[in-house]
Amino acid sequence: MTKLSTEGLTRRFLGLVAVNDVSFSMAEGEILGIIGPNGAGKTTFINLVSGIVMPSAGRIEYKGKDITYAPAHERARMGIARTYQLIHPLENLTLIENVMVGSIFARGNGLKEARRKAEALCAELGLSGLDRDTTRLTILEIKKMEIARALANEPEVLFLDEVMAGLNADETKDLIATIKKVAQERRLAVGVVEHVMGVIRELTHRVIVLEAGELIAEGPYEEVSRNKRVVEAYLGGAAIHA
Amino acid sequence: MNRNLSRALAALALSAAVALPALAGAYPLQVARNVMIYMALAVTWDMLLRSGQISFGIAGLFGLGAYAAVLGVLRAGMPAWLSIPFAALFSGLVALLIGFFILRLRAMYFSIVTLALAEIFRIVIHNLHDFTGGPEGVVLQGVIAGGDAGKLYWLALAGLAAALAASWWFENSRIHFALTAIRNNETSAKSSGVDIFRWLLVAFVVTSSIQGLLGGIYAHSFGFATPESVFDANFTLLPLAMALLGGIHSTVGPVLGAVLLGLAAEWLKLKLPYGHLVVYGVIIIVVILFMPQGLLGMARKAARPAERRTA
Repeated sequence: MTKLSTEGLTRRFLGLVAVNDVSFSMAEGEILGIIGPNGAGKTTFINLVSGIVMPSAGRIEYKGKDITYAPAHERARMGIARTYQLIHPLENLTLIENVMVGSIFARGNGLKEARRKAEALCAELGLSGLDRDTTRLTILEIKKMEIARALANEPEVLFLDEVMAGLNADETKDLIATIKKVAQERRLAVGVVEHVMGVIRELTHRVIVLEAGELIAEGPYEEVSRNKRVVEAYLGGAAIHA
Repeated sequence: MNRNLSRALAALALSAAVALPALAGAYPLQVARNVMIYMALAVTWDMLLRSGQISFGIAGLFGLGAYAAVLGVLRAGMPAWLSIPFAALFSGLVALLIGFFILRLRAMYFSIVTLALAEIFRIVIHNLHDFTGGPEGVVLQGVIAGGDAGKLYWLALAGLAAALAASWWFENSRIHFALTAIRNNETSAKSSGVDIFRWLLVAFVVTSSIQGLLGGIYAHSFGFATPESVFDANFTLLPLAMALLGGIHSTVGPVLGAVLLGLAAEWLKLKLPYGHLVVYGVIIIVVILFMPQGLLGMARKAARPAERRTA
């Protein structure tokens, strides 16, 4: 079942077209990779579907409903959650309180209920020492906290914007397993932006490739990685013709 | 341990506040009244600051409340006791109206607009001669409660209690999470479902109402209001200095700062008239430069290594 789809989604920043006429869809239980070279428009694309940036043209549908211009906090309540490439811990709240925020405002839970749910979520992700300041967390813990914060919204669609950045090989492995598990159990539709192709291969069922704001290829990773246009986009035309 | 200590201190402060009218004469009671009004204003300024918004408009909403109370009695024939909650309602409504426009602004743009609005309120009152009495202001026929020092003290204490209760509510409800999330990172707050504009409006309207309430109490305590007396910049400057000195983002910090600065001000007024204003300025500068977390923050820092040693 389709959870989220876009049609002709476009965003211009002055003269630059950051996302150009992108149509895609994500189904329940599907992990979708969103790849492309630097500046291809991946983060802008996530900003558009999560409501942080409003589109210049096109349409966004969530569970059959037009949400093209719905504000971000309303999308969070409907069930669209995300993490940020530049991590944004709420540094005046503790680890557990950070996770509680989504439960309180996206789900409307009372403080006690929110704490109970946040504790369960942290346990599920293997987070402990829940009353620590966020300044005392390791990178892996911060990444997990960011995911826990997004999951506290109890979303149906989740976007992860480069959550693996800064992690070593073991930590990456740990996080891939964690993401797979939580996504499967919740039948989540997950959109993953990642630069490390190993992660994309391990994690995703399907990928879309953006280049200069346009969707240039779509399909399983193995297939897309052999696509001539994709290779050109990453390595430049010269690599092919050489 | 820490919680017991703060409870004991709160109980001590409460008993002192309740016992004071029985022990002290009219002059100390008047000093206490002043300190309590400033303390309450400092707490309300801090409450909005917890969302990251720095208001320079306290005097504006305080002055509007003062005029609403006095004019409510004089022009609408309200009983004095009713005109005080009316002052709160009036400042709250004004905050609701202007909040719709100015709460889309951030940082210094918000601060400057609140400062300008306070000045606009003063000028409007100053110039509505027929209704407000213009620069001469308005005088009531008698001070509330016959000007009884003890009763006026209780009235100011009630105003302070309202501010403290609201601040406690802000600290112990979902509002705490909303305002802290907004202050730390608006983008990430939105993604967690926080309706930023709505929570800012709640904080702005609640704090402005209490500032109006305090203005009403203040005007009734003297039985008159003039533009110069109730829109005085001190009603913005002093609460700010108190909260900064004591420590921001809490209830205890502004209270502590108000006790210290309030008493110091009374003493300085006697020693060097108007010199206390210079002292306030110096305190604001020193605190911002050298102890941005205030006295409370310094105390916390000092306490932390001690905890580790005992652990």
